[in-house]
Amino acid sequence: MAKETFTEAMIVAKDPQDSKTTKPKTSFIGFVADKGIFFFTGILVLTAVLFVDGFASLQNVTDVFHRAAPIGIVALGMTFVVITGNYLDLSVVAQAAAAGVILIAVSNAYNLIIAFLVAFVVAIIFGLANGIAVGYFKANAVIVTLATTYIGLGLLRLLSGGSQVFGPADGPIATFGTSKLGPFPYSAVVLVAVTLVLTFVLTRTNFGFMIRSFGVNGSATRLAGTNTGLIVIGAFMVTSMAAMFAGFVLAAFSNTAVSNMASGFDFQALAAIIVGGTSVFGGKGSVPRTLLGVVFVSILSNVLVLVQVSYGFQQVAIGSLIVLAVTVDALGRRVSKK
Amino acid sequence: MRKSRLVLAPAVMLAAAALVLSGCAAAEEETTTDAGSTTDSTEEVAETYEVYALLPQGSDQAYGTFYVPAMEAAAAELGINLTITNSQYDGDKQASECEIAVAAKPDGIILWPAVGDAVRPCLEAAEAAGIPVTITNSDLFDADKALSRGYSGPDTYGQGVSSAEIMCELVGDAEVNIIQLNGAAGNSTAIDRDNGFTDTIAANCPNVTILQEESTDWTKATAQQVASEMITAQGIDNIGGIYAADDSIAAGAIAALESRGVVAADYFITSIGNTFLGNPLVISGSLDGTVFQSSSWDGENATRLMYDVLTGVIAKGDRKVLFMPSVKVTAGNAADADVAPEW
Amino acid sequence: MTNQTVIKVGSTATGFWGKLRTQLARRTEGRAVVLFAIIATVVTVSQPLVFTAYQVTLGRIALIGLVALGLTAVILMGELDLSVASTLAVSGVIAVTVANETNMAIGVLAALAAGVVISLINAFFVAIVGINSFIATLGMLFALRGLAFVISDEAPVKLQNTDLGIAFGQPLLGPLTPRILIFFLIFIAIQIFVSKVKVGREFLAVGGNRQAAYDAGIPVKRRIFTGFIISGVVAAIAGIINAVERTSADPTSGSTVLLASFAAAIIGGNYLKGGKGSIIGTLIGAASLGMLQVALTISGVQIPIQEIFIGGILLIAVITDPTSLRAVYGSISTSFQGIKNSLAK
Repeated sequence: MAKETFTEAMIVAKDPQDSKTTKPKTSFIGFVADKGIFFFTGILVLTAVLFVDGFASLQNVTDVFHRAAPIGIVALGMTFVVITGNYLDLSVVAQAAAAGVILIAVSNAYNLIIAFLVAFVVAIIFGLANGIAVGYFKANAVIVTLATTYIGLGLLRLLSGGSQVFGPADGPIATFGTSKLGPFPYSAVVLVAVTLVLTFVLTRTNFGFMIRSFGVNGSATRLAGTNTGLIVIGAFMVTSMAAMFAGFVLAAFSNTAVSNMASGFDFQALAAIIVGGTSVFGGKGSVPRTLLGVVFVSILSNVLVLVQVSYGFQQVAIGSLIVLAVTVDALGRRVSKK
Repeated sequence: MRKSRLVLAPAVMLAAAALVLSGCAAAEEETTTDAGSTTDSTEEVAETYEVYALLPQGSDQAYGTFYVPAMEAAAAELGINLTITNSQYDGDKQASECEIAVAAKPDGIILWPAVGDAVRPCLEAAEAAGIPVTITNSDLFDADKALSRGYSGPDTYGQGVSSAEIMCELVGDAEVNIIQLNGAAGNSTAIDRDNGFTDTIAANCPNVTILQEESTDWTKATAQQVASEMITAQGIDNIGGIYAADDSIAAGAIAALESRGVVAADYFITSIGNTFLGNPLVISGSLDGTVFQSSSWDGENATRLMYDVLTGVIAKGDRKVLFMPSVKVTAGNAADADVAPEW
Repeated sequence: MTNQTVIKVGSTATGFWGKLRTQLARRTEGRAVVLFAIIATVVTVSQPLVFTAYQVTLGRIALIGLVALGLTAVILMGELDLSVASTLAVSGVIAVTVANETNMAIGVLAALAAGVVISLINAFFVAIVGINSFIATLGMLFALRGLAFVISDEAPVKLQNTDLGIAFGQPLLGPLTPRILIFFLIFIAIQIFVSKVKVGREFLAVGGNRQAAYDAGIPVKRRIFTGFIISGVVAAIAGIINAVERTSADPTSGSTVLLASFAAAIIGGNYLKGGKGSIIGTLIGAASLGMLQVALTISGVQIPIQEIFIGGILLIAVITDPTSLRAVYGSISTSFQGIKNSLAK
């Protein structure tokens, strides 16, 4: 316990945001920056409900959940990596695809339990590989995860032959994909469950505390005696577990899996994390915020299709949104420092 | 201490690298010496040809997964030593691979254009080096055709046409609104099929109105998501049919319909491919029609066409075009053995 | 137990060889050179075609290396520019679209102007607004990709003056094509800029210690603008070269270049946090990757195996950095220390 307070003291001393022990006087911009994402989401939802036909239907809400779930679960897990200041985990692309393909292919050939086990082992290996390279070898996360993406996708294609696999039409995977809990599809239930679990881990456990303190001040954490290599491994393991579940959910949604099914997940998840307010500098951020960021991006993508915007303009909109969200955040941070 | 570490790691890499690359080199060495050897034609032994196959997909997509083995099997049978590349639809990467191929001076180059507009420099370079080029899967623009010795593969524009013809036949004179789901944005097959479909609809049955079109990435999951949102945008009561550029996309669209509790068979739905996903849907009645595309035919004939060029069966100046039959698959013939799905 | 440590102040090396050794010790390209040597050796033995057909290999190196060079200017300052891939696509599309309406020269100018505008926007968000460059350029990566699709109407744009395009791909000086020549010219230009020109040399200071750079009177914001302009213009040039050589501008191009460029820069010894690294390092990194890619293509090895191989090399290259090895050694010895201590209790 002494260790904890020591680190905490170091963090309080070094965190530029809490230079006074009381909350800094909030100006409008500062307030918007901090809580801005709530407002933006609210405005977006309001506009959509009022002006976009069909947005407010149960069917569409289900569709938004389906959009949000796979990327969302990945983003929630990847938040841990981002908070430690390690930019991102590019290999979620390979991890989610591997989990999806393994789930369907192995359960077709053997059974569901063995599929879960194999996918679990694969996720552990990914998390360990990334974590050890970044945590112990202190190698750059971008290149390490890029390398593991190549290796992972290469192995996946080699072993699976690259073909698209699909499960039996009334198998347990297909049933999961189409079932609902009340009005919510199971994918949404998984999303919410992952949010709750990860929020708990990040805010209430020792491990979560270490992750946050490492992100704010890595050297202070090291001085306090904690094994920072293990912390980083932990962060990457959380991400790989989350990517595994995301792969399951995505495979269940369409009852198919193919090696390129998760392409784009890496940057899209990062975009959601950043829009939600987690800082790429590390330290600041939370799991519920990431969920909000995911919801915002998913609703936006959904609305863009509903109003029949072409693919090119969709990308422009999403890109501009990211820049806008981060601008507001940066302005707010600057104002609250004054 | 540091010095030994600096030596250890590279030593490990050296060992690993040497193992992989020279292992392949050893396999290559027997046949590398035969490169371009068309002089020993007096012997009984079948000669080995060196051929480069420049592809934009392989085991990273479902079609390629079945195309490549068929291509390799035919090559083994005919005595062709294939070097296969995969540019993953990156035009610049394929152009670079083409430069490598031309420098390697093979007996022939099989080209599956990643970006149809961008291959002319490659063709001219091969021509200048005296290497015959055959095209597979996506044919060249008319202006460039003269630089190749032949084409084998599907008629992607014609596939769109066939799918539209099925749609028109089913719809008859009724006024029907449909939504359209294309392949990946910017992809040449997607563009060709899109044009083939929309041109034919406009010409043959203008009573069919396309309300909205969106791009997908060829996967069922994305198609399912986008289709559902398009149906919301247009209103389920407003839509009478769906066109999908590929069976996986169609499967996704059908799943989107069924998740709303409607029966897909009540809608006019056509697509292209006749795949493992699509064929059963035709048999069950959800999918009204698709166009048979045989990936193994495609791969096998890419090799056979090149073989014919190399052995002189196809005379220089005669551009041979070998179209894969665009067999329409509907409820009537879906269960037939000769349209059994392949990929 | 305390150890006596002698603190050395400054280098005490004398003589030519002594000075040379200290100079070399400071350089960051050591590992890149070792990697290059290994790859060159293995490739010479197994796939000599990579060297006999060296102009093809140089072309591949130029393809992945050009963007990497511009990127390095930004990395040295401790910033990142992810938008280069989309800048490449947009400039290619603009070059061809404008060239088809007017002529090639105006098309090239328009594309270069676009590159400048894009980089100004990037620099504005990073230097003036203060957004983290990773995120700002990530957003631009998406937005510009969309822009490329919008301008090109989601299909490749064919260059009407096909002969010019084909001619551009022909060897110009000996067996070297214009692409390779431009690549070397830009390399020389940026290298001189970063090592000899005052403004360029300040890049490393800006990256090494931003606060100290401010205190030393370096106009940091202006340097950031300069860096992004270099990155953006080089990416635009790469896009123009690609589009003209292919006789067509593809709005989807550049996706593989992004990560390959980062890999080249990092293998070359550049630190993503800035302050350490060099343009020469990036050149060596790009050369290593290019040789490797060409060799693998010729070897005819199954593509998934090629991917695994490249991933493996990248991984090994990045964890065998002297800093990394020192870190691991440190962790292991600390753990042993901990175990020894707990056993001793």
